[in-house]
Amino acid sequence: MTSQPIPPSSLPSFSKASEPMIKVEGLRKSFNGREVLKGISFEVFPGEMLAIIGPSGCGKSTLLKLITGLLEPDAGKITLNSEQIGLVFQGSALLNSLTVRENLALALRERKLPKREQDKAIMEDLTLVGLADYIDSFPTQLSGGQQKRTSFARAIVNDPQIILYDEPTTGLDPVMSTVIEDYMIELEKQLHAAGIVVTHQFSTWTRTAHRAILLNQGVVVWEGKPHEALNSTNPYIIQFAKATREGPMLAGKV
Amino acid sequence: MQASDAKKLAASPYLLVEDWVSIGVRLAGQVGIVIAKTFYYLLRLQIDWQESIRQAYFIGVKSFLIVSLTALFTGLAMSLQIAIQLVQFGGESAIGGVVSLALIRQIGPITAAIIVAGRVGSSIAAELTTMNVSEQIDALKVMRIDPIKFLVVPRFVGAMMMMPVLSIYAMFIGIFAGMVIALVYADVSFGVFLDSAKAMVIDQDFFVHFLKAFINAAIVIFYSCAIGLNTRGGAADVGNAVTRSVVWSMTVMFIVNYIVTDLTYEGPR
Ligand SMILES: Nc1ncnc2c1ncn2[C@@H]1O[C@H](COP(=O)(O)OP(=O)(O)O)[C@@H](O)[C@H]1O
Ligand SMILES: [Mg+2]
Repeated sequence: MTSQPIPPSSLPSFSKASEPMIKVEGLRKSFNGREVLKGISFEVFPGEMLAIIGPSGCGKSTLLKLITGLLEPDAGKITLNSEQIGLVFQGSALLNSLTVRENLALALRERKLPKREQDKAIMEDLTLVGLADYIDSFPTQLSGGQQKRTSFARAIVNDPQIILYDEPTTGLDPVMSTVIEDYMIELEKQLHAAGIVVTHQFSTWTRTAHRAILLNQGVVVWEGKPHEALNSTNPYIIQFAKATREGPMLAGKV
Repeated sequence: MQASDAKKLAASPYLLVEDWVSIGVRLAGQVGIVIAKTFYYLLRLQIDWQESIRQAYFIGVKSFLIVSLTALFTGLAMSLQIAIQLVQFGGESAIGGVVSLALIRQIGPITAAIIVAGRVGSSIAAELTTMNVSEQIDALKVMRIDPIKFLVVPRFVGAMMMMPVLSIYAMFIGIFAGMVIALVYADVSFGVFLDSAKAMVIDQDFFVHFLKAFINAAIVIFYSCAIGLNTRGGAADVGNAVTRSVVWSMTVMFIVNYIVTDLTYEGPR
């Protein structure tokens, strides 16, 4: 791991004085009789970015789907202080039959903006992620990194108060990962939204998040600031951050 | 039939039937929900007409050539059979009427519908399942866009526009085939054929024709959409969904076709 955690001071600051934007209490979810989430609780404040980390299959995507309402929890409560939610999917989940412009327009449909304003919002948004030249391309004509950036643009075109990222850097090369992480930090500054980033990539959670929680076997086993992770005495986070075989986390049923 | 099915069949044929019934019932429930939501939007006239016309165009383009061929050859085979039988009883003059009636009430709608199920229903099931597997449907939901309104309604409206056109077209091709057969095999001129058709066919027959065309279009669209929107998993499930949509929509269509035929039967002519 060569990426150095950037010091927390270079992330935009936030305050815990206000109401939390996202509040999750005692969340449980089973699939086919197997409990994937066994009572998860956390809060995210406006302007804060929370990283949810953990091994593949531990229920990170499920957690995001519960928050966005794509799945119903078996027990527990989710309180969101805004209806404006942007979700960046693990795959980019762009509509392949539509151009980049039309994909972004879809997210603005509810607002019924005049055409001029809509075009302006889309153009600004694409400029931010460096894709203004691709406005009339179809998703299949874009590279993986460009698709990811388009799906970023789609998630933020509505100026969401809540933004959720599902493994935004998984499967990208290290340079593109850094580019995406930089966009995330830039967006934190511009939107001041409450964010959750789900990831197992070290550079991503150490660079972009104010705070992290580690999931294992359906429960939170560590919570803290990313730059404290390596100095922690918690055996779970030590094993996860150092990516070693030795530790309390099973390698899974690989 | 899959290997697991074969094993079950060997153990007990009833188990397999039970499976099919439970799958059929669950699917019917999913189709019911899709129908209810579609009509919710239709009744509020929340219809994307531009997209509907685009879908109608696709349905027409995908089906036109193959409907022509199948209608032609079905018409030829059926007319030949009817002509041979009627000639034996000295009923040459009735060939036109009997052939036309069969084409208007039965063969036209079902031929067009089979092709649409195979050509259009399958591609809708593939498209929607792919969208589901790649989380495009979830993306719509997160943006508060109902996939039924966005994807199903325009396909349904498009099919409603195109199916009667295809059915009527299949009917005309079939009747033309019948006229050729009657001329060649029974020495019945085009004029005699058409006089007989005019004498026997009444408005009610066209009502049945359009009724069947609309119902068949609805069955194909609702089954292929319901299957597409409810299939999750990986790329392998796409092929599976396509097969299921064709098998189920055709099966249901044949059953409903009989029921409509029975309900609209108004006695011998
Ligand atoms: N819709 C579903 N039906 C059944 N099982 C599911 C479903 N979604 C997720 N799972 C299961 O729940 C577990 C957690 O999945 P997921 O949240 O995608 O994990 P992660 O994102 O952390 O890799 C996995 O074992 C997965 O197989
Ligand atoms: Mg995941």
